[in-house]
Order: sequence, then structure tokens, then C-alpha cells
Amino acid sequence: MKTVHSHVLVCAGAGCVASGAHAVIAALEESLRKHNLNKEVELVSTGCLGPCAIGPVAVVYPDGVFYQGLKPEDAEEIVSEHLLKGRPVSRLNFKVTATAQIIPALQEINFFQQQQKIVLRNCGVIDPTNIEEYIARDGYQALAKVLTEMTPEEVTDTVKKSGLRGRGGAGFLTGLKWEFTRKAPGDKKYVLCNADEGDPGAFMDRSVLEGDPHSVIEAMIIAGYGIGSDQGYVYVRAEYPLAVDRLQNALNQAREMGLLGNNIMGTKFNFDLEIRMGSGAFVCGEETALMRSIEGKRGEPRPRPPFPAIQGLWEKPSLLNNVETYANIPVIFNKGAEWYASIGTEKSKGTKVFALAGAVNNTGLVEVPVGTPLGEIIYDIGGGIPNNKKFKAAQIGGPSGGCIPREHLNVPVDYETLTELGAIMGSGGLIVMDEDTCMVDMARFFLDFVQDESCGKCVPCRVGTKRMLEIVSRICEGKGEEGDVEKLIALGQQIKDTALCGLGQTAPNPVLSTIRHFREEYDIHIREKRCPAGVCPALVRAPCMSACPANVYIPGFVSLVSEKRYAEALRVHRDSNPFASVCARVCFHTCEDKCRRSNLDDAVAIRGIKRFMVEQEVTIQLPEMRENEANAKRKVAIIGGGPAGLTCAYFLARLGYQPKVFESAPRPGGMLVQCIPAYRMPREELAREIRMIERMGVEIETNKSLGKDFTLQELRDDGYEAVFLAVGAPAGAKLRIANEDAQGVYDSIEFLREYNLRGSAAIGKKVVVIGGGNAAVDAARTAVRLGAESVTILYRRTRDEMPAYKEEIEEAENEGVIIKTLVAPQEIVSKSGKVAGVRCNHMWLGDFDSSGRRRPQVREDGDSFVEPADQVIAAVGQSLDTKSVLGDLPVKTKLNGFVASDALYGRTSLDWLFAGGDTADGPSSVAEAIGAGERAAVGIDLYLTGEEHAFWRETFDVDTEFDPDADPSDTPRAEMKLLPEERRVHNFNEVEMAYTESVAVREARRCLRCDFRSCGTEKSASH
Amino acid sequence: MPTLTIDNVTVEVPQGATVLEAAKKAGIKIPTLCYLEDVQAIGACRVCMVEIEGARTLMASCVTPAGEGMKVHTNSKKAREGRRTVVELLLSDHSGDCQTCDRNNDCELQALAHDLGIHDVTYPGEKSAPHMDASTPALIRDTGKCVLCRRCVTVCNETQGVGGIFPQGRGFSTVVGPAFTHDLDDVVCVQCGQCAAVCPVGAIVERDQVQDVWAALDDPTKTVVVQTAPAIRAALGECFGLEPGTLVTGRMVTALRRLGFHAVFDTNFAADLTIMEEGTELLTRLKKALVNKEPVALPMTTSCSPGWIKFIEYFYPELLPNVSTCKSPQQMFGAVAKTYYAQKIGKKPEDMVVVSVMPCTAKKYEAQRPEMNDSGAQDVDIVLTTRELGKMIQEAGIDFVNLPDGVQDSPMGMSSGAADIFANTGGVMEAALRTAWEIVTGTELPFENLHVTPVEGLEGIKEASATFTGCKPEWSFLEGVTAKVAVAHGLGNARKLMDKVRAGEADYHFIEIMTCPGGCIGGGGQPRMTTNAIRKKRIEAIYKEDEGKKMRKSHENPEIVQIYKEFLGEPLGEMSHKLLHTKYTPRLKA
Repeated sequence: MKTVHSHVLVCAGAGCVASGAHAVIAALEESLRKHNLNKEVELVSTGCLGPCAIGPVAVVYPDGVFYQGLKPEDAEEIVSEHLLKGRPVSRLNFKVTATAQIIPALQEINFFQQQQKIVLRNCGVIDPTNIEEYIARDGYQALAKVLTEMTPEEVTDTVKKSGLRGRGGAGFLTGLKWEFTRKAPGDKKYVLCNADEGDPGAFMDRSVLEGDPHSVIEAMIIAGYGIGSDQGYVYVRAEYPLAVDRLQNALNQAREMGLLGNNIMGTKFNFDLEIRMGSGAFVCGEETALMRSIEGKRGEPRPRPPFPAIQGLWEKPSLLNNVETYANIPVIFNKGAEWYASIGTEKSKGTKVFALAGAVNNTGLVEVPVGTPLGEIIYDIGGGIPNNKKFKAAQIGGPSGGCIPREHLNVPVDYETLTELGAIMGSGGLIVMDEDTCMVDMARFFLDFVQDESCGKCVPCRVGTKRMLEIVSRICEGKGEEGDVEKLIALGQQIKDTALCGLGQTAPNPVLSTIRHFREEYDIHIREKRCPAGVCPALVRAPCMSACPANVYIPGFVSLVSEKRYAEALRVHRDSNPFASVCARVCFHTCEDKCRRSNLDDAVAIRGIKRFMVEQEVTIQLPEMRENEANAKRKVAIIGGGPAGLTCAYFLARLGYQPKVFESAPRPGGMLVQCIPAYRMPREELAREIRMIERMGVEIETNKSLGKDFTLQELRDDGYEAVFLAVGAPAGAKLRIANEDAQGVYDSIEFLREYNLRGSAAIGKKVVVIGGGNAAVDAARTAVRLGAESVTILYRRTRDEMPAYKEEIEEAENEGVIIKTLVAPQEIVSKSGKVAGVRCNHMWLGDFDSSGRRRPQVREDGDSFVEPADQVIAAVGQSLDTKSVLGDLPVKTKLNGFVASDALYGRTSLDWLFAGGDTADGPSSVAEAIGAGERAAVGIDLYLTGEEHAFWRETFDVDTEFDPDADPSDTPRAEMKLLPEERRVHNFNEVEMAYTESVAVREARRCLRCDFRSCGTEKSASH
Repeated sequence: MPTLTIDNVTVEVPQGATVLEAAKKAGIKIPTLCYLEDVQAIGACRVCMVEIEGARTLMASCVTPAGEGMKVHTNSKKAREGRRTVVELLLSDHSGDCQTCDRNNDCELQALAHDLGIHDVTYPGEKSAPHMDASTPALIRDTGKCVLCRRCVTVCNETQGVGGIFPQGRGFSTVVGPAFTHDLDDVVCVQCGQCAAVCPVGAIVERDQVQDVWAALDDPTKTVVVQTAPAIRAALGECFGLEPGTLVTGRMVTALRRLGFHAVFDTNFAADLTIMEEGTELLTRLKKALVNKEPVALPMTTSCSPGWIKFIEYFYPELLPNVSTCKSPQQMFGAVAKTYYAQKIGKKPEDMVVVSVMPCTAKKYEAQRPEMNDSGAQDVDIVLTTRELGKMIQEAGIDFVNLPDGVQDSPMGMSSGAADIFANTGGVMEAALRTAWEIVTGTELPFENLHVTPVEGLEGIKEASATFTGCKPEWSFLEGVTAKVAVAHGLGNARKLMDKVRAGEADYHFIEIMTCPGGCIGGGGQPRMTTNAIRKKRIEAIYKEDEGKKMRKSHENPEIVQIYKEFLGEPLGEMSHKLLHTKYTPRLKA
């Protein structure tokens, strides 16, 4: 017997083969020969290891070092360094995407560590083309036991006791199916295996057949004995040539060894197996259609009953299970039904293999106990969502399944729970979707798939799904109508009730489940003709624009900047957003998050370009205004001089109104002036844009507070015909812990307002800020500037989850702010009524909460500690006292206490009252407030005149040069320069510095011009 | 015997009965569309869905076995709405030009929409791209009207064993038609029209030639004569609401006269002629085989049914010598009408127009076969189906039900009872035996009331035998010979029989094949819907017509005696050979 000191296992599953595994194996062979290692090192081509996206992959044993993304040229280094000198090649090891940490050992990689492999037990371990390797790992032992020690009844009973459920989708109890078939009268019976894996993205069955074909063969022989059959068929799709090949090879080997054919293992039992290839019709995964196809007929389902257990293939009793179900069987007999039943949940036993795909860092094949929470699969095994995007939903069960939104990341993935949530286990396709997925578009995709794959036999599936597809498609095209969603629900339910087979009955699921969990997205498509995810082409002029709450024509102004046409660029910007200078400084720039250029290198620095653009403005220009005597006479009041109110005033003024703004503070600007520090938002810049609005005929009266100085009813009595309520969310939320009223405890709004409006605020020496949002960071950096000796931010989750802008957090730290994460205040420690510190608990992240983030929980093992402080600033949220602003008016409010208003026009339940900005939405961004102000202006005009006159909404093009065929510029993203720390920590000078002209123009040229539609394209599209 | 309740009515049904059948027994009507009694129950259209307590979804009653203790609701909200949605969806993908459709007022989809009170299509949308297939002389296919119920697929593939049409494509693009989107003329279609007979809508219909007939009648230069096939008289009444099985021979003749035909004849006359020729041919073949020991093709098969002829040309070309060389009665009639009768009235063949009324669509095809012009012109000019004649009578405003009886013109109007039974499966065989037996033995066929009962009825393949005794001297070689005959109807059954013949496993002397189930009374051109119950009624009516006649054997028909005397000479003679016999073409189309 030859002795080898190392094994190199290279994955030869279809995924790795596609990415070049064969060449890698050849190169390894070559190198081993070259170094004379070919006798000591055994090179094995194995089945799928799982992480297909990073293939070809390999493992070197005995050390268990995992290599990924191998190329033939890496072979020499692995052989000479690792195998010869024992030094693993770290550049080829697994890297954690988020932290870039390198993990050499397979067993320590989360992806593998958290899996439990029963079905995939041999995949990636043995050479699937060698029956002896299977036998060496207990292969065919279960068969021997069954044939020599068990009666057929005991066989089916064992499967029943194991609790195994069909892994093909519906989850019917496998043992029960076996028993039915065993008991069915008839002397000829068939054992069938469904390997017609058709769900987009699913490949577990393929991997089992490629990596461990004997496990299926052994199981089918056991099944044959159990039900009394002597003939079986494996129905494999012809698109799986490697699987067919390996299975055929395995069948031949088994037959040679006497494991198939007559008198198996010397007993009287006869059984043989044949492969039948399907031509890739999705419906042939449906059991009755599959049997028709094996018979050589058109694969179409027939009604049940009779069930296949009674009348199946050629009208004979037939047992059909899928590959994954069979792969469990030998283990159940080897380790016992009780052992198997100990894994999983009460009603769903064993493990399930998932094909993890989509927006997740580690894609591939994973096997976990049934009932593992979805969040664990996605975050612990899958490594989370790439590019720090937010998890939106997971589509489970393929085109017949449904989506699970982030509120349910905690749910155990088992048959019952998924069904309750409107999804199904299906064959185990698990597609992770991030915020960039449009759920309507996703539903359209799956519906299109099933519509195409419908066999066309029954009316609901053939015509019904087509009608659903037409409705969903028109919603995506911006042609949706009120009532479309109701139609989809009604028709979808009808199809579920009336379709002939499982395919039709589940075809509406993606639509129904997205409506159930993401109804709002449908409504936005239909009512606002907007695709929030920026996906639907007809609704998205450019992804950046669709992401901009104010709908600024971004490629327009950016391309004008690239041609140094700054005044025109500004006009384009102010056409939909008056606060160009404000937004150049404080905007969340959701536009950049959606910039398509980020697929190439980095997003275009839209805010940076804007900042340079506004710097070029010498004298402020007024936008296009349309005088209107009738409008000028009508009285419109705007309450709140923040971005929402002022924007509303701006657009009303453009329509010829002369609205009046009432502001409670001494200066207009709302949060922009009261909370956002001057080092981010220079006061003169804000004042300049407010003066522009005043010059347009808007009167602003300050120190006029709603609820104190006047009421809404008084405004009405005073002849105001319409009122826009935009008072923000001016109150800070309470910490709700002991001693919160101690002296020295502030809320951040209070603290920032005091400094920003009065010019001074009391400041402690040891300042502790509680919270992780922008208000917290603003308070902390303001405290630094006001001379605090130490400023500490306490946040209960991790830094990654802090809602504040990343760059703000970084600059805060650069300025000396200490950020402590995973700590939560337990109580304020006070000494004689004065704050002395904050008692904190150490936290850990437990299960997932409804926001899709892990819930911070108090660590049982860590002691609490006291963070010393003489000033505590709480920045844990904002609220609105609706009672004080609305008085007794019967205006509807939302559950979270803010005013209810519609998304299109900001209409409240009172026809003359409109609301927007934080007042309606709760704390949100400046750009959101600007968008809400614009919509309210349109709504008020519509209310007063009965028509919409929003001329600025009409689409226009810019006449800048653009060559769609030219390669995009290869300049990297330009970062904005910052004032050095030492020159900013003691003052409120603006930190960010504008680009120079050459940098700005170069940056602007990076834009890919997604808005560009050439006439030629449209023409050719109509052909 | 499960007992179940349907809409609170308790009903007991035989084991294996479906919920639909149980409902029928309980007096509850469940609407259906793809279901067709005796043809198919596949649960495809979902119109017959009912709510069954405990079932997850609605169930198609046509395929759901009635179970003990089942509680079925046919009119619950869920069932009603499901049914309505399905029909609305069908309408959303349907041409909807009802007023100009062949099936106007005779359309199952239209009736469903009416019965379900549908006034609106909730989910309108794109309609399937229609394809008009007018490639054959017999049938017109309009996929824009097709509801994909698959009745036609089932009759074409299973009943007829032809396999000309299938579902093609997937999803909304699914169409029913010949493979590779070919037209019917490109494939093995035998134009039997069974598809058109079962189509619930206007997706497959016969080529409408009523206007051609009107045009001929309106043409003063033409002499237009009409023949009516044996099966018409037992079915035409159904076009006017008469009970199936009502004999309307006399009223039919009167109606034809009122339509303006110059002479009203009867294909039955030609059927008698066929017996003379075919009977003689059979005896001749037997003589050659038994006396001369010549290699002749036996068993001999009949040749009356044009669908069968095309079928054997496609599928058993090597067995074509077994087929009798006799033309079908329709074509024999055409040939003698344009010669014998034309001479009698002093007309040239080209000035004559011969119109046939046939229960059959394949006859339209047969009439234009290139070899069918022995009179010097096309022997039969226009073929109408029973349905078309019904429409023509309706168009003319004739109150058919209350017409007085008329009598056919002479000669070529008189026929024997043997000719009548050509309409039924087994009828040609019986008619042939009645004459042949008497030729050979000089005595009457030794079956009660002349009925060869073993070959009658709806059994798919039937056999009979009789041993010749007391043969005339010239037929003495048959003395003691047991004549074995077989009868098949429906091409699916024909296929089974011919497979045996081809395999040399059939020692019959004579085989009768009729293309359509039940024979011509179940033809593709007969009033819809032809179920087995209706077939039986039509068959009974035909036998009644036969039994009502004194003259029940073809050779006794004086007009037959007359035509041989005046014109044809003798059976298989020179003139007969020229006008009444034909030859066949092997067809190798895939």
C-alpha cells in the first residue's frame, strides 16, 4: 500500500470546472511531478465544496488549508512553498470581505464552520468517480444492513421515524410516501429520482450527483427494497452533462460490484437503475409531468388523485423523491432514525442545503440544520451584504417561492414558518437582495420565468399568469393604475385556487409575497411613477436622479460643470432644488450610493462637484418664475422656516403665489441653522439661499411660534386658504433611564440649538454623548470645539451600524472624539443632583430585530461600568408634540406620532392642511425635506386651482457633448480636502474644502451619463 | 358505492364515478368546457371546478373521483369566483368576433359566458397571435379562437390514432396544431374532421361552401343536382332542434327542392351500386385465391370512407392492394350523374354541378382528388356537411320541422335498406353480405331479419363468420368455406386491425373500416356534439329506415338493375371499371 503524506483535494464540481479547475489540476500534477512529489502527495478531484463564487477551490490535508480563486500559475507556488516547505500560501487563502482578515484553515472559516453536512458529507471529500472512496466512508453499509437485517416494512418505518421530509419543495413526509407506495397494490413498481433541478440559481442536486453519486444510488436501491420495486429511473436534466457522466460512471461501478442488477449482495433482491434525460422544461420537475416525460410524452402535469404512489409511471405505483432527499437516506440507516430526528426542529428534521446567491459576500452551497434562522445563514455563513448595502429581502424557494423581508431575519427556516410568511422551502434556492433590488421588478422577473415555463395546459396558469405579468410589467413601466395591486391580489389568489399543478398554484407567490411585504413599493411605482430602488428603466432616467429625494437632474448639472457652464448648471439644480449650496454641504448624497460608476470603480463625487459649482456663483440668480395675479392674491401660510417650508415657499413663489412663512426661532433655516454646526454649514451660505427665496416675494416672519403665538384655526380665520405644516421634529427623545433629570443631562437638539442660536452653551469637561446618529456626532464635534477635555460617544451597536455619515464619524475621531461601541447606558450616575457619569452595560448583538439589524443585548458575562461625565448629551431620537401644533383640529396622525400625509402631495386628512418634512416623516434628511416641500407646493397649487402647474417637472435635456461610444474616463474619484485638524478643532470654520476647477471638471467627466438616450436607440427599439 | 353530498343533495354513485358524474346524477349541472363525454376528462380548462371540503384548492370535478362522505359545493363563493375567473381569462385571449363566427349561437364558450352571467372581462390583455390554416380543402383552423381544450388533440391522437395535432410551445405561446407550426396539409391529417366535430368553439371548422352552392343555383347555365349521404337523414333534424335519431328523409328532400336543386337524388342509390361492384370484387378475389391460386390481396377492405383511404395511404401503403378498388358511393354517384344522367337529360358534364351533402369533411377532400374526374369533369363539385346544409336551410328561411315529406327523383333516387345502413359501423359489411350471400347461394343471408348483429353496435373491433352451404354451381368452390369478416370504426381501431393484418395475424376475408366512431352517423360533419348516446340513437334510426323498406338488398333495387342494363353493362365490366373504380397513392409524408 502506498503511503502519502498529503492530499490535495481540488473541487471538480461544475462551478469550479467552469472557472478552470481542470487546468489547475493539470498544473498541480505537473508541479508535483517536477518536484518528485507525485508519490507522496495525492491529488484528488472531488465534488463541490460549496463556495462556488470563489472557485476553483482546493484543500490541502492533513493541515486543512483552504485555497480559493486558483489559477494554473499558482500551482507551482503551492507545491514548492506549501507542500515542500510547509508554508501555506496566504495570498490564496480565504479573506473575510469586511475586514480583509486572512483565514487559512477551512475549519475556521465561518462559511464552513457553521454548516452541518449530512447531504453533502462526501462532497469535496471523496473522488466521486471512485466507488471505493465512497465505500471507505461507510458507503453501501446501509444497503447491506437493509438487505440482510430488515424487512421492507422496517425500512419504510425507519424513514418514517427519521421525520425526513421531501426536499423537493412541498416537504411531504418521505417515510409516509414510501409506506404508501409499499402498500399500493401492484406487482410492478418504480423508484424515481427527480434531478430536474430547474429553479434559477439552485444547484444542490447537481452538486450531489457530481460529488457523491453513490449516495443517491444506494438510497434508491434501499427504496426499491422498501417498496418492492426492481426498477428505478433517475430523471436528470440534459443541461447537467457532468452530473449525468458521473452518475453513469457510478451506475456502471455499482453494477460491476453486484450492487445493482440481480441478487444484490448475494440476496434474492433484484434492482436496476437507468438514467433518463430531460430537456430542461421547468414543469418536468412536477412529479406527474416528470413521469409523462420519462414515458416519452410531452411533459405535462395531470390532475391528482390518483397519486403516483397508486398510479405513477406507466400507471404503476411509483415512488418519487428528489436527489437531496435520497442523499439523506444512507445516513439515516447508518446512524439511526433517532439520531436524524434529533437534528432540526419539532416538525422539520435534518438539514437543508441552500444555494446561497445574490447580494451576499459568500455565495455558494451551504447545508444547515432545518430551522436555522435566516439571518444566521445570510450573515454568519454568507458573510453579510457586500458594499455595506442594506439587506432588503431573501427570495426563498425559487420562482414558486416568496420573499422574506428584514423584519423576519430571525425566523427559523423550516417548512411551516416559510409557508406562514408566504414563501416556501422549495428546493432551497436562497437569493439575497439588497436595497438596490426593486421588488416589483423582482416579482416581474420570476413571473416572467414561470409564465414562460408554464406547460400551457390549464387556463389559470397559461392565461392568468400572463395577465399578472402584464399588470406587473405595466407597473414597472410607469403605466400602473389605481386598483392594479388589488387586481394582482385577486387574480393571484384565483390562480392559486384553480391551477392544475404545483407550478401554477405557486406561480403567483413572488407577486403576492412582494405585495404582502413591500406593498409600498408597488404604490410608489403606480402613484408616483417612481422606482425607489432605481431599477425599472422606464421610471429611472438615471439611478442617481431616482435616488435623489428632490429629483435633481444630476447628470444635467454635472455635465454642465464638465463644460464649465456653471451658471447653467446651477439653474438646472435650482430648477428642482433651491438649496444647492446647502445640499453641497450637508446632503446625504443617496445619489452617490446608486451611481452606476461604482460598478466600475467608485461613484462620481456628486456632492463635491456641486460644492465646486456653488462656489462659482457670484450673484445669486432667481429661477424661472411665472407671475400670476390670481395666485398672488391667495393667502398661503407656511409654518416652519426649515428646508421643507422654505422649499415649499420657493416653488409656490415660482407659480406666482406670495406665501408667508412663520418661523418660531429668531432666524429661519430650521435644523440647518439650529442643529447643523457651522463647520459643516457656514451660516452665510444658508442665509444667501434664504435671501434668494425672500427676493422671490416670500415673507418670513420669525419668532412666531405655532401653538404659542397663534393657532391654525386663527390662520384660517385670518383668510389663509391653505397651510403647509413643516415645523420639523423639534423635541429630543428621552433616554428613559434613571436620573435622567440630573443636572448636566441635555438632549442634543437642546444643546446644539442653544449654541447655534445664542452663540454660547455651557460645556462640561468630560462630555458623554449617547447615540450613533448625525445629531450625536454633531454634538460631539461641537463639544470638542467648545473646549471639552474629553468627548466620548456611547453607542449600543457596532460602529458599522452607526447611522451617522461615515466621513463624519471619521472626522470626529480625528478631532479626538472617542467612540465606544456595544455599550448601552443603564442609568445616569448623579451626585447631589449633578451628573457624575453614565453606568453602562456591555452589549452583544443577538438575534435580528425588525430593522434587519442584530438586536443589542446586555452581556451576561460582562460587568457594568461607569463612564465618568459631567455633561451627558442624549441624541437618541426626535419627536413632535402634535397636540401643541394641531390643537383640537381633527388631523390624522401616524402610529409614531407624526402627522399623516400622502406621499404625492403632502395632503393631510384636512383638505386645506398640508404637512411635510420631519413633521410628517419623522427625522429624515435635508433632501427629503426639500422633496416634501416641493410636493406640498404642487399639492397646494392643485388644491387652490384644481390643476397642476409644476412646469419645472417637465423633462428637459442639456445640450452638453456626450459620445456614448467613447470609453469612460479612467480618472479615479477625487476626494475633497479637509482643513487640518489643528486648524479646526477650536473653531467653527468650514472643514471641507472645495475642489479646484481642474479637479471638479475632471470629476464631472467621470459621469457615465445614464440619462443619455440617443434617438437611434429608441428607434431601433421600436423595430 | 360511495355516498356523497353535493350542494346538500345526497347521492350514491358507483365506485370510480367522478364528482361531475355524481352531480349529474344528483340533478346538479356543473359547467364544463374541455370535458367531453366519451372523449376526454383531463381537468385542463378548470371550468368544472368545485369546492370540496378539506381540499386545499378547488378541484376539477371531471377528474376528481367521488369519495365516500365527500362534501361538495358547486356554488360556493370560492367555486363561483374560480369558475368565473377562468372563463373571463379564456375570453381575454379569444378573438371575440362572435357574430361572424361559424359557431355563433352554437359555441360552448359563448354559452358558458352567457350562463355564468359574464358581462365584463376583468383582466384584459394581449391576445395570442392568430394563425389561419386554410391549407386543406376540408378544414379551416383559426388558432385565435382556440381555447386549448385539447378535445381535438385527444380525438386525433387517441380515437383516430392519426397524431396530426398536438400542443406546441409553452405558456401563453402554447398552440394546438401540427408539429413545427406546420399547416394541416403538411402533415398526416386525414381530414376526417373529428377535431371539428368536438371543437367547442370556432377554432376548427369545415370549409364553408354554402355560398358556392348558392352561386351554382343562381347560375342559369348550370344544372345542379344533389345527393345526400345515408347518414344525413338520421341527423339533419338535430340542426333544427329535433331529437337525435329523428328520421327526416322526406323533409330533407322537400327542403332540397325548395332550395332550388334541379334534381334531388340519393347517395344511397350509389351505395347499392357500390355493393354490386364491391361484392363482385370480393367474390372475384376469393375465386382467384381459392380456384386459380393466384396471389391476390386478402383480406379485402372497404373503400367508402375517404379518411380511411388517406390514412392507409399514409400509414400502411404496402397494404393498399388490399383496399377495394371501388370508389366511394359519393364518387360513384358523381361519375354516373355526369355521364348516365347527363346523357338522359341531354347535358354535357361541364354544365352539370353535382352537390353532395355528407356527414363528413374528408369528402370535401375526396371530391377534389385528381383521379376523381372520370366523367370528363370533376365528378363531384361541391360537398356540404350536414351542418352546412342545416345552415343553408336556415338561411333560406325554410321551416324545416314542419315540412311535408318529399320523394327523390328517379333514376338514382331509389335505394334499398342495405344502402341505408351504410351510415352505420358494420353497415357496409352487412349490406355486402346480404347481396354476396344471395349471389353465391341463391338464398337469403341466414341472419335473423338480415341483421349481422355481431358487427353492429359501438364495440371498436367486431368480427363475424358464416359458412357457405348450398352454393350455386359457379360458386361451388366456396362450399363449406367459412367467410370471416371484421369491422372497425374509428381510425384508432382501424390501426389495431391493420397492425394484425400487416403482421399476418388476421385471416379475415373482408374488412369494413369506417373512419369515424360509429361510422358515418358519427362523421366529422354531423351536428355537434356527437356522444355515444347520440350515436346509438342515430344508428337505431338508420336500422329503422332499413327495416321499414320492403327492398332491403342492393341487387333488388330496380334502378340498379336499370342502370346496368341501360349503361354500365355488368359489375366490374368495362364501363363500371372506368367510372366506378379507382386507384390509390402511397403517401410517405412524415
